[in-house]
Amino acid sequence: QLDRGCALHTAARDGLSSVSSQDVPAERPRAVFHTSESDPAKHTEQHEGRLYNIPLEEVKAVFPHGLPHRFQQQIQTFNEARVMVRKPALELLAYLKGSNFAHPAVRYVIYGERGTGKTMTLCHVVHYCSRQGWLVLHIPDAHLWVKNCKELLQSSYNKDRLDQPLQASVWLKNFKASNERFLQEIKTQKKYMWGKRESTEEGRPLREVVEQGLARVRSASDAVGVVLREIKQQSHRGSFRLLVAVDGVNALWGRTTLRKEDKSPVSPEELTLVHNLRKMVRNDWSGGAIVTTLSQTGSLFKPSSAYTPQELLGKEGFDALDPFVPIPVPNYSPREFESCYGYYLERKWLQHEKAHTEDGKAELQFLSGSNPRQLDRLAGPL
Amino acid sequence: PCHDTARALGDSPASLVPCRIMPVRWSRYNPSYLEPEVKKESYQKPLEELTEEEREQMELKAVRPIKAAPPTLSSSVFSDPMISKFTNMMMKSGNKVLARSLMSQTLETIKRKQLEKYHKAPENEKVTIECNPYVIFHQALKNCQPIIGLSNITKGGKTYQVPVPLTDNRKRFLAMKWLITECREHKHRRTMMPEKLSQELLLAFNNEGPVIKKKHVLHKMAEANRAYAHFRWW
Repeated sequence: QLDRGCALHTAARDGLSSVSSQDVPAERPRAVFHTSESDPAKHTEQHEGRLYNIPLEEVKAVFPHGLPHRFQQQIQTFNEARVMVRKPALELLAYLKGSNFAHPAVRYVIYGERGTGKTMTLCHVVHYCSRQGWLVLHIPDAHLWVKNCKELLQSSYNKDRLDQPLQASVWLKNFKASNERFLQEIKTQKKYMWGKRESTEEGRPLREVVEQGLARVRSASDAVGVVLREIKQQSHRGSFRLLVAVDGVNALWGRTTLRKEDKSPVSPEELTLVHNLRKMVRNDWSGGAIVTTLSQTGSLFKPSSAYTPQELLGKEGFDALDPFVPIPVPNYSPREFESCYGYYLERKWLQHEKAHTEDGKAELQFLSGSNPRQLDRLAGPL
Repeated sequence: PCHDTARALGDSPASLVPCRIMPVRWSRYNPSYLEPEVKKESYQKPLEELTEEEREQMELKAVRPIKAAPPTLSSSVFSDPMISKFTNMMMKSGNKVLARSLMSQTLETIKRKQLEKYHKAPENEKVTIECNPYVIFHQALKNCQPIIGLSNITKGGKTYQVPVPLTDNRKRFLAMKWLITECREHKHRRTMMPEKLSQELLLAFNNEGPVIKKKHVLHKMAEANRAYAHFRWW
């Protein structure tokens, strides 16, 4: 009965907005669990549990990296990108809207059990900030920087540290794709020397630093460091707002599986990328916000039942990130589950004839435990 | 020895247990044991709606022992005995977890391919595209089943390939076996099993592909050896 109540209640409100959306006239009006409001700034509690559409060109521009792999497959199959509006994301957006940017940046840590939607919440916030015109520094998965690195070079800037050219160049390429106009506007504030012959003068656009990093892969990690430093120093001026979005921030304060040539283990602070990112996540700058996610899935040497900030960050990480605003992400509420199930039915993702029945729905809810990832995995073969 | 087996099989009197060596693969249960009933619907029927036979069955269940339910028997609405059989045939060295995940990835791959085709097709062709992976699986298996098989019969020192009718179980087994061997042996080493299997199943659904060809070859051989059909004595 709750759903029918919702249908009548929201259909009236959405009647006007659905008429103005560009639906094909032959299609039935989109059902209860959709909303035609594709600007995250206008999402409120009324939109909770409903899915909003991100146009595919925007997806390519805003998320060159950062979306979970299964979600990317889903975008390809359904030919549309629909993200659910959930309470943790709405909470975060409210904090961001009400925050004072003259004060030091506030750190938000999104935590929760496995597969509850932390990365998707982060992507929702990133979409909001890029729509608002912020400069978004999105690191899709910090764990990729502390494991499985084929090449480790000794850094030319600091003899003790190690460079990761491949990871740095991949990140620079994606960063350039998403923030073209900022790279043109922000100018360097001092001269940087790349080796003996190449240098970037003062006052040149940051784009040249990025291109230098892409062209000379050996100095890519240093280019990343320069970019982060410049952006941090200039953010308090107020010409742009900065969002630092890091997924899997517990990688920065754990252990790595990398080894130096003499087989001694590498600790995270010996990596240039991690060192610079740690400086970025400190709250000694103003004019933006830092939104991070904890992740056990890619983490190293952490038990699979760990999900709280204390367990995943360890003492060092917790002290470095303290104080922060914790944002827990729970499993689907009954309403959100109905919404997700209805979406799968509508997109013909649930093909099994029993999946359309009440028994099938009850079984899906029980087997998945209302966990978004489990529901997705279960609904795949059905 | 037959008294020992009688005692092991639920303490029944020796007269009921035939005195023979039980093969390992056949059931070791006493014939009085009944099969477990897994379907939810049969337990939800109220007493009045039951027919005479069903009432008798219920009374019998109160006195007879029941066999243990095997782990593959599930009361889920989504379980399919054909899919379970296929998964068991794909399994290697008892790794059911891997076999089941491969099967679910296969079904998902089939669904994705068909849905992508469906969304790109014009309106009038959308009806012809089948997106349900289970329908595709069953139809593909049905298309791969041979109607007639060959069996080796030795007569007068020479072995002849004699055309012989096949039971339903044997047809199903051959269809599944051919599909799996085709995917394992005749494809590139680096392709994943879900990808290979989904391709084969989609080809078999449209009556194309190497497995259908193998079935036709078998039929032709049986047709060619028609003359030896009288060698069969069963």
